[in-house]
Amino acid sequence: MRRVTERHRPGFWIGAAGAMVALLSAGVTPGFAQQSVAVRAVLAKGALPTDDPNAAIWNTAPQASFPMSPQVHWQNRIQEVTVKDVKVRALHDGNQVAFLLEYADPTEDPDDAAALEFMVGDKKAHFAHGQPMMQVEGGPVNIWYWKNKDKKGVDMNAMGFGTLKVQPHQDVKASGAFSSGTWKIVFSRPLATEHAEEDTQIIPGNFINVAFAVWDGRKDGSGELVEKGSQKAVSSWWYFRAEPPPDYSPYLYAVLAVGLAVGFQFVLIRKLKKGQEA
Amino acid sequence: MGGSLTKPAILIAVIYLILKFVVPNIPGSAPLPSSLIFLYLMLTTAGIVIFATMSGESKDAFWGPIQRFLTGENIGALQAARYAVLILFPLLVGWQTYGSTAVSDQPPAENRTIHPAPPGEYTGLSNPVAKTPENIMQGKGFYAAFCSPCHGGNFDGKGPAARGFNPPPANFRRSDNHRDVAGKLLCSGASRRAASGLPIEGMPWKSAMPRWEVELPDEWIWKIIMGEYDGAHQSPRTWE
Repeated sequence: MRRVTERHRPGFWIGAAGAMVALLSAGVTPGFAQQSVAVRAVLAKGALPTDDPNAAIWNTAPQASFPMSPQVHWQNRIQEVTVKDVKVRALHDGNQVAFLLEYADPTEDPDDAAALEFMVGDKKAHFAHGQPMMQVEGGPVNIWYWKNKDKKGVDMNAMGFGTLKVQPHQDVKASGAFSSGTWKIVFSRPLATEHAEEDTQIIPGNFINVAFAVWDGRKDGSGELVEKGSQKAVSSWWYFRAEPPPDYSPYLYAVLAVGLAVGFQFVLIRKLKKGQEA
Repeated sequence: MGGSLTKPAILIAVIYLILKFVVPNIPGSAPLPSSLIFLYLMLTTAGIVIFATMSGESKDAFWGPIQRFLTGENIGALQAARYAVLILFPLLVGWQTYGSTAVSDQPPAENRTIHPAPPGEYTGLSNPVAKTPENIMQGKGFYAAFCSPCHGGNFDGKGPAARGFNPPPANFRRSDNHRDVAGKLLCSGASRRAASGLPIEGMPWKSAMPRWEVELPDEWIWKIIMGEYDGAHQSPRTWE
């Protein structure tokens, strides 16, 4: 018996090595989060920094970067904007979600402003304020708005340009901090609200659409605001997901399946060997 | 071992190569999806098993080598391959189980149709504006004012306003884009097809293209299209 085992040992290791190489070459590679396609709110290990853009805990959230364009879809258009990219992080604690928007702006102005935009409900909404679409029945957008001089978040809805409405119930908080040519703005809100027809509802694990808008509140030589209203920097729709709590059950199922497969092999080979002996 | 298994193995390999490399090159054909190739190979394997087990003699000739391989009796150098199979099989079962029970953390796949078909009511539309150098020149001027911020002064889709938009503005210098997007524009009554007028498969909620049909006179739009074709050195696709 010992002789047989020894004879099998080199073959066993060659087989094991071959199996590993085959598994690795079969594309068993870890999945990487697609930065700049989605913002991922990870579960905060500590208090949610709902009013602190400089809190150290933000460094635990992955950062995504999204390019911005001038708003050209609808009047009044603008051909050039100050902000070319926004960097976004997000955290949640199971009850609240907080977003950190970060972008370069050479000067701090009272009219500097930023906004997040979400689709509401199941209907698709055009990224430009939920503009009507000709062949698709669109839904409203939920806009979370912050302006430097107002020092607060505003919860709004729109369904097309010119339809912007401040909600009677305000669930969004926001605050900003400007330092060395960089704005950091925190938006926060409960994941779920009681107004599902107006507020986007955030369910951990589900992807929802998000877009961004930024206004540089600088004035031109005649004292007019250069970016205001629909004249702003915008992004297309991207994705947002509040990460669900870790679920280890798939690993358990996999281990169970491996055990069953090994058992099946054992029984099969044993039966075959008995048949050969007979 | 396995003289009787050589032929089936060769047969499966040949059928795989035909499905993968020969069928797509038949005129009018297309590459087969891997799920279909897998289905054909399973059918082939089922046929081989039925054929091999039709008589007791052929059954023994077919199963014998497989049994010897699995039990490891007198298979010599194949012992390593046997261990590899015995290790790989449970690992693959575990991997499949993990894959089918784990929730994906990737954003939903977007199967956006880039060039949806124009709606039927535009069938047969043709440009009512005369193709004169003056009209083309005027169209290029309108293009510079209304289109070039996104589609670019060089008609290459790389205008200064393009960088933030997803999907990116069309590159009119690419003949396939031109024929499919601008061609349909021309065939379908100017810009009505491009912007938020897209059907659901074109995901109009992501398109930054303005609804020019409510802002510009039809004549201007036709002139823009003429100027754009001329500037991009392309020609429109016409109704067949």
